[in-house]
Amino acid sequence: MARTGVKRHGWIGRIFFADLLAGLRLTLGYMVSKTVTHHYPDYEKWVPYQRHRGHHFMNTNEQGEVNCVACGLCSVICPCDCITVIPFENEKGDRRPEVFDIDLARCLYCGLCEDACPADAIKLGQEYEVSTTNRATLKVHLEDLIAAPRKAEDGGLVKPARLESAGGQRSVLRSGPSTGLDWWSRIRRPK
Amino acid sequence: MEYVLNLVPLLIKMAIVVGILLLLPLPLTWLERKIAAHIQQRPGPMRVGWHGLLQPLADALKLLTKEDHIPAEADRMLFAVAPVVALVPPFLVFVAIPFGDPIQIFGTTVTLSLADLNVGLLFILAVSGIGVFGTILAGWASNSKYAVLGSLRSIAQMISYEIPMGFSVIGVVMLANSMQLSQIVAAQQGLWNIVVQPIGFFVFFVAGLAEAQRIPFDLPEAEGDLGAGYHTEYSGIRFSLFMLAEYLVLVVLAFLNVLLFFGGWLGGPAFLPPFIWLFLKVGFFIWVFMWLRFTFPRYRYDQLMTIGWKVLLPLSLLNILVSGFLML
Repeated sequence: MARTGVKRHGWIGRIFFADLLAGLRLTLGYMVSKTVTHHYPDYEKWVPYQRHRGHHFMNTNEQGEVNCVACGLCSVICPCDCITVIPFENEKGDRRPEVFDIDLARCLYCGLCEDACPADAIKLGQEYEVSTTNRATLKVHLEDLIAAPRKAEDGGLVKPARLESAGGQRSVLRSGPSTGLDWWSRIRRPK
Repeated sequence: MEYVLNLVPLLIKMAIVVGILLLLPLPLTWLERKIAAHIQQRPGPMRVGWHGLLQPLADALKLLTKEDHIPAEADRMLFAVAPVVALVPPFLVFVAIPFGDPIQIFGTTVTLSLADLNVGLLFILAVSGIGVFGTILAGWASNSKYAVLGSLRSIAQMISYEIPMGFSVIGVVMLANSMQLSQIVAAQQGLWNIVVQPIGFFVFFVAGLAEAQRIPFDLPEAEGDLGAGYHTEYSGIRFSLFMLAEYLVLVVLAFLNVLLFFGGWLGGPAFLPPFIWLFLKVGFFIWVFMWLRFTFPRYRYDQLMTIGWKVLLPLSLLNILVSGFLML
């Protein structure tokens, strides 16, 4: 009973509908309180936490070379068999991937490739808007992985964004003050 | 010639009323969705126009371009007639509803009503009772069990609640010594009926909610247990006619509550024109109806009958008795 905050008023309360009025008071409070909705694609976008496993990215070293040594551990451990790695030897004699493809349509974003990688190369980043109308675009290559967004430094924030239709509909971050680090606090709960 | 000249303002008034009534459901659907959303801490429609203001237009466009489907085994004639039958009574009710005292325009007196009948209240109650035929016909013609169940519930509900509704306004009629709505409003000069007829207002309000088939009395179209009740099989423009009728009944109900119990166009401090007062009050009532809708759950069927026959009817009779004794 304490959860709903309804007090018993005896037969007087029954005659004057104390319970119904309590309900009406609650909904009136909700009606004038702030909404908790993110205005997601249009004005706001939530940046996921560091632990979020989104679109993969490939780390590079100071010289701009990819960290990947094309050992193939990621493609071996991948439960959906969606990573293709073909190694080659570059002019410095290093083992590097010639082909590093990930089929995002098959990937289940488990993060095992990230765990298996000995060279700190393949990681799962913050990008989560991977929907598309063309399945072919879901096969990402090495250069796409290098360009993909890294893990979020400031995960958990709601940031100003706008909808951009260029190259598929994407919500793109704008500059501006971010809000709602703890947006659950905006939800009104009974005392 | 004289006759035709008298007809002109009437025609103009008719055009205005019908035009407004046909367009009114558009902002009302927007309002309903917004109120529903904010009660649930959502912003509601936001993407079509400023704060979703053009959303009703988009919805209307969608409804009008949808396939107009008639089930194979349906009674085609009744199926087509039912939405119109449901839509006509709420329009007809506005014939008898006055919007204010007569005003002077270009030296001629213009009454702000289509016809201020001397039996206005009786006319309104009678005509709004016809509305149930649309529901019955729709349920029967659809040849669908859910639709028939919805219309069966609707019949029982209408019969149960029309009686207390009729009785609850008798106190008001006694106070005004008239069934003419403008007289009833004039009789509330100084003291609104809500002060002297609180029980009458309560019964009228609840019975009105049931007549309009709004939550918590929307059993005829209970989504959870009946699909959508009597308009389960309807689509496209016919469905939109039912929605139109539903919102107009809501407006009628708000108007009646205001005219009978809240002093009509009579304002408190008189710095606003009476017309504005009337519409502020009506708007307030529409808001209250929507607020109730998204607060309360639906009553069970036996509870509905219990409330109608065992609570509202005795209360309305008691109200008549008490106000009768006090008047003597």
